[in-house]
Amino acid sequence: MIEFTLNGKTVSTNDSPDTPLLWVVRDTFKLKGSKFGCGAGLCGACTMHVDGAATKTCVLPVGAVAGKAVLTIEGLGTPDNLHPLQAAWHELSVPQCGYCQSGQIMAAAALLATNPHPDAQAVEAAMAGNICRCGCYTRIKRAILEVAGSNLAYDATRTQPATEASA
Amino acid sequence: MNASNLSRRRFLRNSGIVGGGLVIGLNLTGCSRAPLPVPPLADGLTPNAFLQITADNRFIFYCPRDEMGQGVTTGLATLIGEELDVHPADFEVRFGGVHPDYANPDFRMQMTGGSTSVKAHFLPLRQAGADTRALLLAAAAADLGVPVASLRTEAGHVLNGDDRHPYGRFVGTAASLDMPADTPLKSRDAFRYIGHNFPRVDGVLKATGTAQFGIDVDLPDMLHAVVRRSPVPGARLRSVDQAPALAMPGVTHVLAISTGVAVVAGSHWQAKQAAGKLAPVWEDVPLAGIDSATIQEDYARAMEGTDGVVALDEGDVELGFAAADKVVDARYWTPYLAHAPMEPMNAVIRIADGRAELWSGTQSVQAAQGLVARTADIDPALVTVHNTYLGGGFGRRGTLSHVTEVTEIALAVNKPVHLLWSREDDLRNGVYRPASLMHLRAGVDAGGNLVAWDAHRVGSNIGPDSLRAVAPGVLPGVGERFIHGMADLSDRITSDWFADPTSTEGLADDYDAAHRRVTQTTVNHGIPVTFWRSVGHSHTAFAKESMMDELALAAGQDPVAFRLKHTRTNKRLHNVIRIASEKLREMQPESGRFLGFAAHHAFDTDVAEIAEVSVTGNRIRVHKVTCVVDCGLAINPDVVRAQMEGGIVFGLTAALHGNLEIEGGAIRESNFHDYPLLRMDEAPDIEVIIVDSGEAPTGVGEPGVPPIAPAVANAVFRATGQRLRSLPLRLSA
Repeated sequence: MIEFTLNGKTVSTNDSPDTPLLWVVRDTFKLKGSKFGCGAGLCGACTMHVDGAATKTCVLPVGAVAGKAVLTIEGLGTPDNLHPLQAAWHELSVPQCGYCQSGQIMAAAALLATNPHPDAQAVEAAMAGNICRCGCYTRIKRAILEVAGSNLAYDATRTQPATEASA
Repeated sequence: MNASNLSRRRFLRNSGIVGGGLVIGLNLTGCSRAPLPVPPLADGLTPNAFLQITADNRFIFYCPRDEMGQGVTTGLATLIGEELDVHPADFEVRFGGVHPDYANPDFRMQMTGGSTSVKAHFLPLRQAGADTRALLLAAAAADLGVPVASLRTEAGHVLNGDDRHPYGRFVGTAASLDMPADTPLKSRDAFRYIGHNFPRVDGVLKATGTAQFGIDVDLPDMLHAVVRRSPVPGARLRSVDQAPALAMPGVTHVLAISTGVAVVAGSHWQAKQAAGKLAPVWEDVPLAGIDSATIQEDYARAMEGTDGVVALDEGDVELGFAAADKVVDARYWTPYLAHAPMEPMNAVIRIADGRAELWSGTQSVQAAQGLVARTADIDPALVTVHNTYLGGGFGRRGTLSHVTEVTEIALAVNKPVHLLWSREDDLRNGVYRPASLMHLRAGVDAGGNLVAWDAHRVGSNIGPDSLRAVAPGVLPGVGERFIHGMADLSDRITSDWFADPTSTEGLADDYDAAHRRVTQTTVNHGIPVTFWRSVGHSHTAFAKESMMDELALAAGQDPVAFRLKHTRTNKRLHNVIRIASEKLREMQPESGRFLGFAAHHAFDTDVAEIAEVSVTGNRIRVHKVTCVVDCGLAINPDVVRAQMEGGIVFGLTAALHGNLEIEGGAIRESNFHDYPLLRMDEAPDIEVIIVDSGEAPTGVGEPGVPPIAPAVANAVFRATGQRLRSLPLRLSA
């Protein structure tokens, strides 16, 4: 049995410890916001935060997160309580197909948590692990920079689960 | 050509066997009396297949087309909302199931593609909105006891003087009245939503991970399947020892299906691990002897031959060359490419009590329904298809072998099944953009006029393969042997009689020249091909626009002025090039950066692109792209901008990276390490200028793609003096 916190709640699973965290979160805990894109840590669609760090979970055995804090897109914000990055994503119409965007937003949120005011180069470096086949890059970059340059930047550094933050 | 040839041509064209597309349109025409696949609304109004209005004033829009990122839910909600007077963001958007009323008016079947959705639904959806608004007004007038003329509407409300009544108040009366028809549509100056910018209607769902994709569907008792398929397309399973997979944890079934071996388990991870233990043996097929080098040699040999078919023949091209002062002669190569949508193919199915229910994000729910019905041998009416959001389409999700696979598996295991392809499956077992070798020869006379244009393309054709892939789904009542016969006939026709339009489209159409000829020679090694964002234009624009620069330079003319001079009969493209040329004149690239230009007409839309490029060593870097587009009336200009941005990035991936190599008949590339897609640190800044137009809207999903590769190649030539005639662009040391 492996125990960890998922979006602020303690959970445990009997899944085999070599099962990638992505599949445990999607299939055991039924949180479908994090996506499968490559299975090889190459595209970032599966990005979650593990103890605050953006992590590609399609290649991360669940055994490796025992005792750690996992945050997914569902924990970052909800339609009724958007994280500032999610609000910017909506206002700038960043998503096209939308499939990669959970991973993009989680990568961006981890960046702002450690560097609330990144420049364009820092954004490009932090986001280079996330592929968007629809080609939304100019808007992703603009959304991150707008949040970073606004008075929302401090708020955007919150990477605690939204439910806790609002409680 | 004799008369019988002519009539044969006409018959074949009209029958649609040439292109593979139209033949399918036979079974869905006009209105149907079939019940709508929408949940009944007891306390509300269902005026047509697209709308429901509840008594508490909720507006449900059943979107007839599939949302793969192109913004179709936003665009079509805007069309119907404009005439209904409901803000597009106030609709609850759902996807229509299979029903003739949801047919794409351009195809007369349920298919999303060809950059047609807004263009084809522009009038019908507005009419549906306008008639419904007229119905609500009539109901309001009756209920309030006032003349219709005294009422106005705004944002889902009827206005009677200072009183605002929600539409929902009148749905009961409205349901008892006759539906008006042919209600006059708004004029452009009355538009409140069309032509205006507002955020996409699916932005919040997609920023919060709450948009449901096919992969996310999760049914009680569901089993998970993965399939091992032959690395060489078309090779069937000869034998497999099932024991190693059956011994793995969670595995419930290992079974042979039409495309390979399926492994079924309690979870996806278990099925995937177990499938990796199998060592299936595949039958030998001739394709196994083919490599990329063989293909290129065969294409080059075919280019020398005379057995091509003429796609276009205007004037007398040899007469044109006789009058030419300068002739440029060049060959261009574009490789096989994969669509690589971020969401790999998947489908979920439940088959019970003689009925089937399928969930999958597809570009044709109709084809999906037919494939399930055919495979399970049940009436299509007993197959319900739930479309989800698509994690990218680009043409890939019109071919639905995964739907056939999941049906076969579910029939065998008697439980709901979730089938998921891996990225490796996606790249190696897919359907591809065909490779092309193009030979262009063009002549300019002493006055600098283009006098002859002779273009010859060698490669395989999309039409017959798409017929093979799509017809079994959309013609569920037609026998498989007949369909294969039709596809084989289509192979013969496109190879021997008429060029498949998608093979050579855009190769000679844009510029004025008295003498033009286009020839197609078909060489088909059996790599399955299909529509790939911008289809034939994805290869022809590279050759045509590279050649235009080569010609202009040979004739000592400015490449952009040369294009302006030869678009006198093509006003819209001319205007787009003119606007871009004015932008170009203002540009002052910093030292070490070079500008390249290209323009192209595709999907009734005209696009010009300017690429600002630098070269360091062998590395090509695209810093900025300026794009001018005329797509008629822009329904939501920001969505148009997003489609140009996306098209440019998609085309840049092809220009800088995209390449599939064939080794022993198999695709060599397997994941994003060897089939790289453009990432943020390579993505240029993009400026989009939309030509102000009141003309009917034209396509936007695809036309951004074609000009970018030649624009970059033309810039690279300026930077280095090297003329790169193969994609992806590779500088030699």
